Amino acid sequence: MFYLAHEAGRSMQLFDRKYFQLLREISVARYKLKDQSTFLGFAWSLLHPLIMLGLMFTLFSGRVGNQINHYAIYLLIGLVQYNHFSSSTNRSMHVLLAMKSLTADAIFPKELLVIGSAIADFVELIAAMLVCLIIAKLSGVELSWPVLALPLVFLFQLTLILWVSLCLSCLYVFVRDLTYIYQAFMRLLLFATPIFYAPSFLEKGPAQYVLWLNPLSHLLNFSRSLILKGEIVPLTQMVLFFAVNLALLYGSIRLFRKCEPVFAEYL
Amino acid sequence: MEPVIQLDDVSKAFAGLKQRRLIKHVRKYLSSNGSGFKESFALHQIGLTILRGDKVALVGNNGSGKTTLLKIIAGLYRPTYGRISVDGRVLLLRGVGTGMVDELTVSENLFLYGVIYGMERAKIQEKFDEVMEWAELKDFASAELRTLSSGMRARMAFSLARHFDTDVFLLDEAFAVGDKDFKEKYEEVFRNEKNGDKTYLIATHDLEFARMFCTKTIWLHKGRLMAFGETERILQEYAAPTHADPVN
Repeated sequence: MFYLAHEAGRSMQLFDRKYFQLLREISVARYKLKDQSTFLGFAWSLLHPLIMLGLMFTLFSGRVGNQINHYAIYLLIGLVQYNHFSSSTNRSMHVLLAMKSLTADAIFPKELLVIGSAIADFVELIAAMLVCLIIAKLSGVELSWPVLALPLVFLFQLTLILWVSLCLSCLYVFVRDLTYIYQAFMRLLLFATPIFYAPSFLEKGPAQYVLWLNPLSHLLNFSRSLILKGEIVPLTQMVLFFAVNLALLYGSIRLFRKCEPVFAEYL
Repeated sequence: MEPVIQLDDVSKAFAGLKQRRLIKHVRKYLSSNGSGFKESFALHQIGLTILRGDKVALVGNNGSGKTTLLKIIAGLYRPTYGRISVDGRVLLLRGVGTGMVDELTVSENLFLYGVIYGMERAKIQEKFDEVMEWAELKDFASAELRTLSSGMRARMAFSLARHFDTDVFLLDEAFAVGDKDFKEKYEEVFRNEKNGDKTYLIATHDLEFARMFCTKTIWLHKGRLMAFGETERILQEYAAPTHADPVN
């Protein structure tokens, strides 16, 4: 059957066995390449939040943090999740350009490069959160069975990272200024996310709307409830969060696939 | 034989990188005739049909549009004008080991390279020893790719590429860096493929190779189709000193 040449890359379908094999190889390759030239490698995924934790704890524990139980662990959870979101989306945004020879010269679904990059980073989130749990236990937090629901939070975070990464990587091919715009946005997001303060710290009004619209603040709330309070947030809230992010992931894949035929020309 | 690739009046224009700058867009918007962008055409109204099983050489000077044509057929570029249809699966091999990563080992790269070009992992595993032996790299399986010379990389990439399965192969000077021994080995592979039903379109400057493997040849010059037909006739025209700049 004849088809238009620019549809060639789509001949490998989603849920095809070869699609998953390629995703696996790309994820493994990206994982092995990560932090390869650094002395501490993987340890940076925890060291970076710990350095920020030291700084923020010194600055905020006196006034902002004095009404929050286990403030150091509260901060650590927020920093691990925020840092992972920031570094993973940033790396995925650049992956099409970083693997330019593949993007421009090979025929396969290019979203696999972005998804593979996000999955390679995802391993670090799981490991860093497990270390968080150990530190929480050692510092006197009583962990109870709801903590077993933590993989759900990982899944939500991966879904969020995937749709954001797909949109960013796609746009970055056309608008290279996005690097600077995204850097500025991430600095704003650091303050617009309840990392070092509790959501109740902000006054009612526009600031609370910003928190409500910020998916990261929901994710932090989910994981802190599980770890620090031993509570699962209402099921409807989790289902709604996942459904919205799943819909956005679907939309971002559609957008990516629409733009994909012209990537090679712009790289 | 039925057609496998059809190009109808295909043209391809590119706009320069600097023309993406905001100021250029503003200038275009403000210009009275609204034609602020200058496009340069890499291909002009190319029309041709390639049949199943054809072995076609693509010749022309540097900048003649060979790579652009291959990328358009591969679906990596969209034609600005015209239409291209392809019947079957297409595989484009550009350069030596496109997709291989310097920092990974030879064996890791073999798996990555294989799955990128559509091979099943199990098949790569099955062919692994034979591929390494053909490439004369049996002792280098755990070496980092960056420690290999370009000739060794070419051998490794080609050794695996022999097992790629597709309907249409598009090759862009893919293995031109090998030594004399390697050239003899890969020419033998192509000689065995000569009567097969796979379709090949090969951009090359090696006219002897074109004579040996290809029954038809496309000659491009400055993005225009100068001639398309039986290899010996086209190569004689191409090699003639009078063709210095036929477009002008």
